[in-house]
Amino acid sequence: MDFQGIHDHLKAADVPGLLKADAPRPPNPEDKKDKGRAGDPFVEVDPVQICEFMAACRDDERLRFEILADLSAADPSADSEELWVLYQLLSITHRHRLMVKARIPKEDANINTIAGIHRGAQWHERECAEMFGITFNGHPDPRNMLLPDDWPGYPLRKDYEFPEEYHGISCV
Amino acid sequence: MIGLQESPEVAAAAAAPIAGGGNWTLHFLQGITPEAVPGWILPIVTASISVGVVIAMISVIAMLSVWLERKVSGHIQCRYGPMYAGGWHGWAQTIADGVKLLTKEDMVPSGADKPLFMLAPAIVLGAIFGAFVAMPLAPDYFFADINLGVFFILGMSSLTTIGVVMSGWASNSKWSLYGAMREAAQVVAYEIPLGISLMVALICAGTFNLIDASEAQRDFWGMGWFIFKNPFVIPAVVLFFVATLAETKRAPFDLPEAESELVAGFLTEYSGIRWSFFFMEEYAAMFLMSLVMAVFFFGGFESPVTYLAAESMGLGYDHLVTNLLGAVTLIVKSMMGVLLMMWIRWTLPRVRIDQVMTMGYKYLTPLALVCVLGAALWEAGKQAIL
Amino acid sequence: MPEVTASAKKFFPEPRILPGGEREFMMDVATSDLEVSMGPQHPATHGVMQVLLRADGEMVTAAQPHLGFLHRCAEKIGENVEWLQYLPYTDRYDYLAAMNNNLGYSMAVEALLQVEIPRRAQLIRMICVELNRIASHLVAFGTYGLDLGAFTPFLYAFREREWLLMIFEKICGARLTYSYLRIGGVFNDAPPGWLQEVEHFCDVFEEKWKEYYDLLMVNKIFVERTARVGVITKEQALDFGLTGPMLRGSGVDFDLRRDMPYLLYRQAFEDGAFEVPLGRGEKGELGDCWDRIYVRVKEMMEALGIVRWCLGCIEEGPVLGEVGKTLKVPPGEAYVAIENPRGELGHYVLSDGGKGSSRCRVRGPSFCNLAIIEDIMPGTLLADAVAIIGSTDVVIGETDR
Repeated sequence: MDFQGIHDHLKAADVPGLLKADAPRPPNPEDKKDKGRAGDPFVEVDPVQICEFMAACRDDERLRFEILADLSAADPSADSEELWVLYQLLSITHRHRLMVKARIPKEDANINTIAGIHRGAQWHERECAEMFGITFNGHPDPRNMLLPDDWPGYPLRKDYEFPEEYHGISCV
Repeated sequence: MIGLQESPEVAAAAAAPIAGGGNWTLHFLQGITPEAVPGWILPIVTASISVGVVIAMISVIAMLSVWLERKVSGHIQCRYGPMYAGGWHGWAQTIADGVKLLTKEDMVPSGADKPLFMLAPAIVLGAIFGAFVAMPLAPDYFFADINLGVFFILGMSSLTTIGVVMSGWASNSKWSLYGAMREAAQVVAYEIPLGISLMVALICAGTFNLIDASEAQRDFWGMGWFIFKNPFVIPAVVLFFVATLAETKRAPFDLPEAESELVAGFLTEYSGIRWSFFFMEEYAAMFLMSLVMAVFFFGGFESPVTYLAAESMGLGYDHLVTNLLGAVTLIVKSMMGVLLMMWIRWTLPRVRIDQVMTMGYKYLTPLALVCVLGAALWEAGKQAIL
Repeated sequence: MPEVTASAKKFFPEPRILPGGEREFMMDVATSDLEVSMGPQHPATHGVMQVLLRADGEMVTAAQPHLGFLHRCAEKIGENVEWLQYLPYTDRYDYLAAMNNNLGYSMAVEALLQVEIPRRAQLIRMICVELNRIASHLVAFGTYGLDLGAFTPFLYAFREREWLLMIFEKICGARLTYSYLRIGGVFNDAPPGWLQEVEHFCDVFEEKWKEYYDLLMVNKIFVERTARVGVITKEQALDFGLTGPMLRGSGVDFDLRRDMPYLLYRQAFEDGAFEVPLGRGEKGELGDCWDRIYVRVKEMMEALGIVRWCLGCIEEGPVLGEVGKTLKVPPGEAYVAIENPRGELGHYVLSDGGKGSSRCRVRGPSFCNLAIIEDIMPGTLLADAVAIIGSTDVVIGETDR
């Protein structure tokens, strides 16, 4: 199914957590400031109900998103107050994709883990946690993935300050 | 006083120098020693010369084998191997490597058991030196005419396992320990098929002595080899070869020094000249086992060429030329075995340790026992009928 | 009875008092598991990766991979450089299949730009990507043999790979990290004679492929080492998000080139240029190491089919679309995934209209494929652990980025 079909089916099946869909649109000729949005459409989901949403996506007959292709996060800009958690779902049976976005506040960034639904999410969530400072509630193994265990700060946030030195090694 | 009445033959034999078939060095020395030198010095001098020859032989064999391995592996892998050191196809490569290894820092890892660490390569090399003693170079030139020759060789070459296990433990590294444990298990498992398949040839030979076994294959113009004499010897040769590969830790049984799994197995912490001791032992053991195989299965010193020299040209088996031809024959046969081992190493992947044990205990040992039974029945049947 | 010292008490439990009053003489000797660290320097971990193993003798009871030794902050750099400047960084995550990485990033940015790629560029892209797939699978095949002790197939595979690297050098000047597939097409046209050389390579490689198959894949010892080892069931594969040969080796029929096609793969598939090889459990169980390496070896042949198809319908024309010297990428976000030799390589690009991306996330297939070894290694032997890691065909550059 294409994105419109998936979105309609999500609404019809009353999948919990669904907020809205965001599709690309061309720039508005009247409004100079509105440059439009390019790229791929996505579905926005309420972070509180993310587990139910993912479970429904995986188990629903017409959706069947067996594979969690990617779980990442993004910091839209330095003065934004939210972080985005992005889920890329892939269905093998129906050969379609879905991008899911959940917005969480930057100050107290936490969201439930979906490691119980997709095992592959475990490692992705560890990486997001260390890079963005997001806490995944209920994660079975929240260690640092790529960074050393005592690395200060959250590197991929836009307001990250690179440290001067690390264990006596100069970083500048 | 009433003592043993020696028979005149025994007395004559004791008084006379060693009769035909004796060791050439001792003969030569007896010939040239002036009367003033006491008799007991000669065996000591002979022994020292023999030790020197053994050391020289092992060094040359190891050097040649390393170079050969590199060339053989290179050509199997569509490349040349050493080409520069010394000029013609890099023949001096091993000498250069040896000099480099000699000048390396002698490192003993901290936490390693120093005495055991240093003793292990010595034991390994010492054991193989000992095994070489029973090896005859030519029908008339040997270091010791041991009647239990092959038994002694098998025993001494098994002593190397002690050194390997020692090195694995003493290195204070878990990877070395794995290599040592694998080595111990593997060698113990394959000693049995090794001995039993060799017994098949011993049934045909009737003697443990290497020189006598070689002499027993003299008929049919030097082609009376044991593999032609008894149909059960052919599977025995295959079993013996496979067991030899396992004993000498050559691929596909090179788990103790499995390069890609255990970094370098029991050799991980060794560098410099200690490392080269282990490798000298490996190539010397390969050569030794090939030689045992050549003597007991493929005719030893006998070939149509030696028959030609001894019988057709009437030189006899004591002549220098026959001896030289015999020595050359034996060395060629042994090197064929060594080449075959190298060829197999670069072709086949490694067998897993549990598969090694399964093969050794469940397949090779029963097969070897069946071969022995068959060979014994065949020989008995031949005796009864003929 | 000698005094049991405090340190020995750890290993030898106190003897029991049997009914009747005597102390038990033969006690169970308590052995502890050995904790071995495989890596970061180890010949068989395909890069700098550490796998902490707990082994009871030769049997592995737990495995825990540790990553991050090759982390080079590619994603953070993506936010600080311009669009075109990021291309060399993409080469370096999966350095064995750099053309694919270039393609993934370029396609993600092209999804934002909505630029038309000329047909000749697409065909040259397909040729380069498929040749790079062959080169990458040759490394996988060769190093897998090396891990298992077969030293020779490695050199044979690299003999062909050397030729491929020379072909790549002729077209873009680099052997390993190309930066050739640019946003909008490819950087420059193929030099004269290049297409003929690619065709010659295809003819020669077909015969050599048979040699590789006979030398290693059907070798009894190799089959014994890899069949029934490291079995990944279909459910496990889907749960962990595996893609690529790891997924196809477990029997799941899915390939992005055929099922969600990009470039001209749909046309190629309809013309019968390639098929998707699947693991069938021929030598052992479905989803074992042999199936995965079999899928990779067969994919080399299928890639040849695609290259031949491209050579058959190549035509003259421009090789770079109309993108202009400085890219003006409109704001938006896109996720584009392609089929890397290792699986699905996805790029998520977020643009706010600036000079470079605002977030450039790379979904490396090796990262996701590696997670499964925590689950399938316990219960295997140490030698099997090496076979399993080799069959996942991870490139640590991609795992760590």
